[in-house]
Amino acid sequence: MKRLWIPCKPRMNNKNSHMNTRLIILKTTLWALVGTLAMVTVARGIFGLGATTALSDAMPWGYWNALKMSVVALAAGGFVLAGTVYVFGVEKYRCFVRPAILTAFLGYLTFVTILLYDLGLPWHIWHPIVYPQGHSVLFEVAICVMLYLTVLLLEFAPVILEYRWFGHSVFRLIHKILKRVTIPLVITGIVLSTLHQSSLGSLFLITPSRTHELWYSPVIWVLFFVSAVGLGLMMVMAESFFSAWFLGRKLHADLLSGLGRAASVVLFVYVGLRLGDLALRGLLGSAFDGSWQAWLFLLEISLSALVPATLLSFRRVRTSVPGLAICAGMTIFGMIGYRFNVSVVTFLRQMAYFPTWAELAASFGIVAAAMLVFIFFVERLKVYPEEHGDSADTPYGFALKGNYDPGTVQSLLPDSLRAVRRYSLAAIVAAAATLAFLPAELFSTSGLPKTPVAAARTVDGVMLARVSGHGHEISLVGSDSTDSMGNGRASLMMIDGNRNGRLVLFPHKLHVKAFGGAASRDTCVTCHHGNMPFDQNTSCAACHRDMYTATDIFNHASHAAKLGGNEGCAKCHADPAQAKTRTTATACAECHDDMLLADSMIEPPQDDMTGCAAGYMNAMHGLCVSCHEYKAMSEPETYGAQFGDCVTCHRDVDDSDLRRMKPYVMHTLAAEGK
Amino acid sequence: MSTCAILTDTTLCTGCERCVEACREDNELGPDVPRRWKSRIDDLSSTRYTTILRRKSEDKPGVHFVRQQCRHCVDPACVSACLVGALQKTPEGPVIYDDARCMGCRYCMIACPYGIPRYTWEKPVPYIRKCDMCYDRVVDGGKPACVEACPQKATIFGDRDELIAEAHRRIKENPDKYVDRVVGETEIGGTSVIYISDIPLDFLAFNPEMGDEPLPKLTWAALSKVPPIIGGVGAVMTGAWWIIGRRMKLAEEAARDKRQDKATDEKALDSVQTSDEQ
Repeated sequence: MKRLWIPCKPRMNNKNSHMNTRLIILKTTLWALVGTLAMVTVARGIFGLGATTALSDAMPWGYWNALKMSVVALAAGGFVLAGTVYVFGVEKYRCFVRPAILTAFLGYLTFVTILLYDLGLPWHIWHPIVYPQGHSVLFEVAICVMLYLTVLLLEFAPVILEYRWFGHSVFRLIHKILKRVTIPLVITGIVLSTLHQSSLGSLFLITPSRTHELWYSPVIWVLFFVSAVGLGLMMVMAESFFSAWFLGRKLHADLLSGLGRAASVVLFVYVGLRLGDLALRGLLGSAFDGSWQAWLFLLEISLSALVPATLLSFRRVRTSVPGLAICAGMTIFGMIGYRFNVSVVTFLRQMAYFPTWAELAASFGIVAAAMLVFIFFVERLKVYPEEHGDSADTPYGFALKGNYDPGTVQSLLPDSLRAVRRYSLAAIVAAAATLAFLPAELFSTSGLPKTPVAAARTVDGVMLARVSGHGHEISLVGSDSTDSMGNGRASLMMIDGNRNGRLVLFPHKLHVKAFGGAASRDTCVTCHHGNMPFDQNTSCAACHRDMYTATDIFNHASHAAKLGGNEGCAKCHADPAQAKTRTTATACAECHDDMLLADSMIEPPQDDMTGCAAGYMNAMHGLCVSCHEYKAMSEPETYGAQFGDCVTCHRDVDDSDLRRMKPYVMHTLAAEGK
Repeated sequence: MSTCAILTDTTLCTGCERCVEACREDNELGPDVPRRWKSRIDDLSSTRYTTILRRKSEDKPGVHFVRQQCRHCVDPACVSACLVGALQKTPEGPVIYDDARCMGCRYCMIACPYGIPRYTWEKPVPYIRKCDMCYDRVVDGGKPACVEACPQKATIFGDRDELIAEAHRRIKENPDKYVDRVVGETEIGGTSVIYISDIPLDFLAFNPEMGDEPLPKLTWAALSKVPPIIGGVGAVMTGAWWIIGRRMKLAEEAARDKRQDKATDEKALDSVQTSDEQ
């Protein structure tokens, strides 16, 4: 691994094929990610948030939102460095200012781009300007981001205007003006950054009951600001390593060590504030209560601040390149973790949330695009001013346009096309691969999860018209006892109608009849939808939402036969001492453990109600209500319009238990004085 | 000022769900479809603005029915959170939502202490959906559809102050039956949908102990510091720039003076020497 760290002297790209390979692999990967992004963008645009993300009513903010928070925090290096150099006059860090401002600018662009994906109605992104609502923290964030993005553009514009295309006197004038207003711009930038780095934390002031106590704080905005300053310094460091490793830029180890020292102080302040705040409010104990949140808190604060700040206070660590790199890595990872914990993890209560691959792919793609823009600017513009013009063998610059990837395999194509061809190939292959993944994944996330379906089969069975009431009794021919009972022996179809891997008897003929006969156009399509894409037959539960409360779903004779006659009784009526009734029997779900669909309208049997047969209330309501309602409608003069209402039966019962109705017969008998 | 409100007496509710049906018809919500984002079918969803929660209590027998709906807070967190004013607290009392303004940030869903606002996730062009207390009916002097449909008068509509008085009256008349608390009278600044019940209704909020302070006050504590931060940070930065710049300039001048002095001295010395030679 030692080899990976670049010594503190500039390495020139066209002299070092090793560097080229590294950069080419990086760029090809980034382009592939951008290709994936293109397809995910299409899917997100067409199918919407619900289909492409794992967001839900329980978790309305997720991964994209946390990432937005993180990239803004990562962009904090811009205002910190600009302030250090321009306001506090620490000139030695000037070489970091331009890359830091470019990183900040791209960070904010990334923020806005992710926002376009995350907003339900991204074409309304301009609404805060015309419908301002000053009491919203999010309004402050929106306005500050808008203004700061402008400020960053103006701060970085001189670098762009130095490019050879902008030689016209007008551009030179603009350049001159922008240079002159640098100080006001920098100060405005610091004010805006202070405001909205902190207000991203203030967003969560309104969720005292949802955010976990280890992350909720009345001064969370101070914590967000201080942590952003520390993170910004580390990000400048990381960005230097990136430029040195991939782009052959000079690594100013001595200056980085200075940054490390400053970062160490800031991070210690952050740890002090965070723990001090918890201690003052008496919550420090819950950091050690052993819950997963407590462990996460300890891990986060050690990784983001405590360990790197402690390490950086040692001179030996501060002056070693690997030491600095590891500390920067830890802080960046830890502080992104802080943002994720505040905005996603602490909200996890009832429902688990994990981002879909589309959410992940979109974020990787957007960040990859930002990195490509960064590389593009570094290759063409004077982002690192001190390295230009001091020697003739400058690797990048105006003269070498289109040739920023030297050292590639010889080809007949001109240099400028060679690179383009490779990267576009990577992007297109990735896009095609994404497209291949899209449909199934997308459709399955929006509806219910897909379950495997077993093929239908036929069995021998008995089907009898019920003596009283509607419907038929159907049962399997499993033993002699049933066989002797039935003379209506038939071939019955079993289907996996609920798509739970359990085959149930299905009287197909009866269904055809019930839906209006095979001659009707609509009969078959009630369940079979023809050849519509990605469609399956309607499941039983789509219509039989209440099938689990109906008494006749339980066929006692069939169960007795299947379980082996008298010996089988004890399988359900386990306790011989108790009366063999429905309430004492083993619950249906003990054997049929997946009988109840997750989305069934019917509640699972309550704890005091064993079995799935109809309860008293269901039986009474089923028996009485429909007829009552019908009579109230058809003969209001005889029965009264209220005859169908609940009060007809639920009247003058004890106050203590309004919802339990005494049996009507008893009630009537009592009224008649018998 | 008098505002409209709904009082739900859970002891009178028989769980017939006529209110749910009336709401569905009046708002043309269509059927409930099971979806990934609907955690339970009997909970609220973008196609169900009100629902009956079934709860059991340890000391009271039977199932208790509690109607769930938007609480139409007196000082609503969702309204303060909305950055474009798509959610508004109307003078009549209902909290209403404007499709045309919404940008889809879903901060209202995060902010609501009761977890009420729902999203039409299934649509490529999604909006927030929640109970609006049948605002159109209320402005015309009518009652919300759910109240009109209730056969038990378990949920009634009227002036908020009068309903609170009625709630206290019922509790006073039957102190053994009710929990002595009018839920929504003062909680988190008070709500326009208030409950009295024979079981504790703590489960209706994420955290039962949230005090009486409205949530928007918490954010305002930070937001009100924005002007001082602008002034303070701006002034400190400008001051630092000026002072440091001046010091550096002075130091530079001093250094130059010193160099110049040295140069003049040398020159003088030279001239002296030359004159000597002459």
